[in-house]
Amino acid sequence: MKLRKLTAVLLVGAMVLSLAACGKKSSNSGGGDGGSSSSGGEQETIRLLGYSYYESTMNILRDQLTKAGFAVEVDMQPDYASMVTARDTGNWDIAMSGWTTVTGNPDYAVRDVYASYGEYNPGGINDPKIDELIDKASQETSAEYGATYKELEDYAITEMAYSIPLYATRGIRAINNTVVDEKTVKNPQSRSAYWEDYSYVDESQNATRTLMLTQVMPDLTSLDPPQANDGSINQLSANINVRIVNMTEDDQIVADGSLSRNISTAEGNQAFYFILRDDCYFSRVEDKHVVPTDVRVGAEDVQFSLERAANQDMVVNHKTYNLHKHMSDISIVTDVEELKGVNDSDTGKSVFDTLSEGLPSEIQTLTEDKTQVDNANGVYQVVKISTENPFPQVLYFLAHQSAGILNKEAVTEMNSKFEVASYDPTKDVCYGDPATIKSGDNHLWMSGPYALVDYDDYQVVFEKNPGYMAGTEHEAKISNIAIKFIKESASATSEFRAGGVDILDAVNTNDVATLQEDKNYTVFVYIRHATTYCDINMANGNKFENIDLRKAVFYAINQDEFIAYNNDLVGPLYSTASTLIKTDNKLEFSLEKSAEHLKAYQDSKK
Amino acid sequence: MAKKEMTKNESLYLKKVNRRKLSGSLEYTTSKLAYQVTAVLVFALVIWQIILPLATGKEIGTISAVLTAVYGVEFLLQFIVVKRIEKEITGAVGEISNTTRKLGILLVPFVVTGNFLLFIAGAMLIKKEKNLEYQLSVYALLVNIFIILISLFNLFKDTLVDTFWLGIGFYALYSVLNVVVIGAVNKYTFGKKPDKKFMPFAVISLLGIALGNVFSFVLGLITIGKYRNKNEEVSVEWIDVIKRLFRNYTAVIGMFFVVLFIGISIGSNLTFDYDIAIANNFSARLAEPSLMYPFGCDDYGRCVFTRIIFGASISLIVGLVSTVVPIIIGGILGAIAGFYGGTRDNAIMRVMDVLNAVPSILLAIAIIAAFGVSTMNLILALSVSVIPSYARTVRAQVLGISNQEFVEAAKACGAKNGTIIFKHIIPNSLAPVIVQATMGIGSAVLSTSSLSYLGIGVEAHIPEWGNVLKAGSTFLETNPYIAIYPGLAIIIIVLAFNFFGDGLRDALDPKLK
Repeated sequence: MKLRKLTAVLLVGAMVLSLAACGKKSSNSGGGDGGSSSSGGEQETIRLLGYSYYESTMNILRDQLTKAGFAVEVDMQPDYASMVTARDTGNWDIAMSGWTTVTGNPDYAVRDVYASYGEYNPGGINDPKIDELIDKASQETSAEYGATYKELEDYAITEMAYSIPLYATRGIRAINNTVVDEKTVKNPQSRSAYWEDYSYVDESQNATRTLMLTQVMPDLTSLDPPQANDGSINQLSANINVRIVNMTEDDQIVADGSLSRNISTAEGNQAFYFILRDDCYFSRVEDKHVVPTDVRVGAEDVQFSLERAANQDMVVNHKTYNLHKHMSDISIVTDVEELKGVNDSDTGKSVFDTLSEGLPSEIQTLTEDKTQVDNANGVYQVVKISTENPFPQVLYFLAHQSAGILNKEAVTEMNSKFEVASYDPTKDVCYGDPATIKSGDNHLWMSGPYALVDYDDYQVVFEKNPGYMAGTEHEAKISNIAIKFIKESASATSEFRAGGVDILDAVNTNDVATLQEDKNYTVFVYIRHATTYCDINMANGNKFENIDLRKAVFYAINQDEFIAYNNDLVGPLYSTASTLIKTDNKLEFSLEKSAEHLKAYQDSKK
Repeated sequence: MAKKEMTKNESLYLKKVNRRKLSGSLEYTTSKLAYQVTAVLVFALVIWQIILPLATGKEIGTISAVLTAVYGVEFLLQFIVVKRIEKEITGAVGEISNTTRKLGILLVPFVVTGNFLLFIAGAMLIKKEKNLEYQLSVYALLVNIFIILISLFNLFKDTLVDTFWLGIGFYALYSVLNVVVIGAVNKYTFGKKPDKKFMPFAVISLLGIALGNVFSFVLGLITIGKYRNKNEEVSVEWIDVIKRLFRNYTAVIGMFFVVLFIGISIGSNLTFDYDIAIANNFSARLAEPSLMYPFGCDDYGRCVFTRIIFGASISLIVGLVSTVVPIIIGGILGAIAGFYGGTRDNAIMRVMDVLNAVPSILLAIAIIAAFGVSTMNLILALSVSVIPSYARTVRAQVLGISNQEFVEAAKACGAKNGTIIFKHIIPNSLAPVIVQATMGIGSAVLSTSSLSYLGIGVEAHIPEWGNVLKAGSTFLETNPYIAIYPGLAIIIIVLAFNFFGDGLRDALDPKLK
């Protein structure tokens, strides 16, 4: 009996003791810095949505929001597609987003993200003032639009906190400098890599050795340029199709390296003239090897390709209509006098004079027939593009891979077998269908420096197009290139170090130091217009319609931590246009302000 | 020639006898392992802390030099002790002298350096007569000391959790209590039956389970069990099993680690700061191991040591629950199948076969993919896939037992089927299930870590061992320690469960009685 009592007393004692211990479990360091913990009121829950690619970013974000007093529910989907599905259900508050301005112009950087009709505006930003500012800026020249974009940024981000900027991603490219001549590697900010410049250290290898590149996505969307605009084809497409303008490493629009010899923007920024080269021929493929054709890439092909790009009804699954819809008319100019009658908007000289600079011979006649072209004897082709409104930034879109020039006959032959309106993916085959090419039926006619000769589950193989600007500096140096598909960035790095890959286009920030240590590798870290930010779900009824709550989150973000995590290989960000337009806006990290806004929000609820 | 043969045979025979004598001595087995392991440690330390820095031109840290020296002393001391024991046992007297036993007192304090083998060897050496209770109380104290030692590492941190001193004080008090219990054990339990005066201490020991100290709990159970045993001449069956288990030194060490991990996962709630394990701190990003961060920091600047400590509780909880759940479900299904036979047996076992045919890790991945990433789903996923193996084991046992006379007798007495199954058959078929379960916990811990490593187990920021390991895998080349330590933790816990399970199987095996 006594024993039982003793047992009971001891048991109760132990329970009390352990309960007391549990009650004091809270530690002293949580949110200790700056009155962050939401005093009194209940914790606000934030549902953070993303997918595995953003794992580290989401972890930092979760940590920062927790320190600011929020309760964070992390929803990490395995891949992008699952995340989009989850995003469509609307059960989220903040979602991870990435935006790369592949055209290098600010209009593209903001329109689809912030405009009420934007394709990549899942948060539901719907503000007439923003739409107005975007349209206003689009009609201005690069000298003028800086102020307008700053106004847009000040309003959309600073004032309204419509999206939460996290960081600007840099481009990181590693090359094996014992194999590839590092002087021939360019690191463009916006456009895809220039393959035609690459050369081996030992130039005698150019004709024999295959240059190995790598890519994450093995399923190519489509090789018909307007049908796709994503990481699976951007690099390929940019190198197998020539365009009528080219973009330099630092996003200047030039004729050099494109199908045009010169370009000219007419006064009013509504008409654009391009004088074409005559030394660019299509290549096609037979038995998985390139075959040169004597078909010149001419104005007819340009007209055909760009009309398709600008017309939603001419292409099945048109993915780049927003880029090209501004073009209202594409015509071939046959009257030399027309060129003399208009002036260039930059120089004030006539378009004729601008187009004539540095030509092999003076312009004698203009022709509609590409077979008649003979630049050496003064026979040229000129294409004129008109836009609905003044829109100088159209040139950037023309430099994008989706404006690649295709062969009119080859495309028509494939696509005439069905009607675009009644296209049935189960039986109709479009031009550029990757599955068809994979099965061995390579119907592509390619105008670029390289020809895609083979494609399977493991790699895509390219051969130099012998008819591409032969004898000029733009002629491709290396004859054979292959892209290996490697899904994991860690595996790609291993493959690169094992010598299986010569150029690694996207290096993980954590691998940079290891690669830099090895003198055989050169790592290029360069500005790239890629951004990572968060969308905020402002759909009807969601609590983030409240601006104070948005700002509470906004001020809780410390961009320095993202930068530190990525070894200073990412930069600060304010809006998706930050990398293009210097606005001096900087995200302020202040837990006090965050707490103030959170309190304001909680008070407003009462 | 013949004579030479004789002496050779004789010496061989003598060697055999000596070996048998030595292996029967607990003092010798514990001491031998202690000096061998210490020797390996010293060797590793010398290479790692002295030769490697010299070769790479770095300075030798004072702490590592001192540590190496101390371990060297430990090794020497233990080596001398082992040689003395060897000589004395194989010598004329045949038993260990009192002077040698007093050397044990020297060995015990070295537990402060983390060398628990020396402590055990010392404790076993000091006392001539050792019963099960003594061993248990020594291990209980050892677990406590270790929890305090591990917790004290927090002193090097910038901040201490509010409850730190409370926790340390609490454990210190409990250790003192443990020492008292050891004294009481010596005084009261060496008779055939423990003295009545020991009962309060037995209750105190029972309470140890609140802190996860299984040794202490078992001590309480045993003494109370012995005390309440009416017939002194007949030993209690389950106490015999534990006795046999404690004859197997590796199994006991396995059990020690298991109990230590359980204890630390409870104790860490008081003495460790969860924020250090969870919150990012970029000023300590990828910090090298130091006193402040014993295992270094990961790429978010989180202390790997603290993460591993907190990871223990998640791994153990997931491991235990995902083993207990299938035992209950599989056990019931297996018992029904085995007892009733016929159609019911067929139906249940064919479903089990189907479940068994699905690769377990794939099944787990499928379940998590369908229901989402969470600890609950992880437990569910791991449980479902092992149900068939428990059902099979139980069914086989039940098939054998249900034909035995005592079941017939129960039936003849008119007992209901349910009563027979739950009162007579299941208790008698538990032994192999227990063994399977101990091994199963190890593999469940492993599966948890694998799934987390693949990114589909516990959420990434939660300090589960697989997660900690994954965070380190990126930095294997530049900062290998981030991956090595969680890897070691996983290896140790799985090994510990396997050793323990192995010992348990031997102890439960009726043929080895």
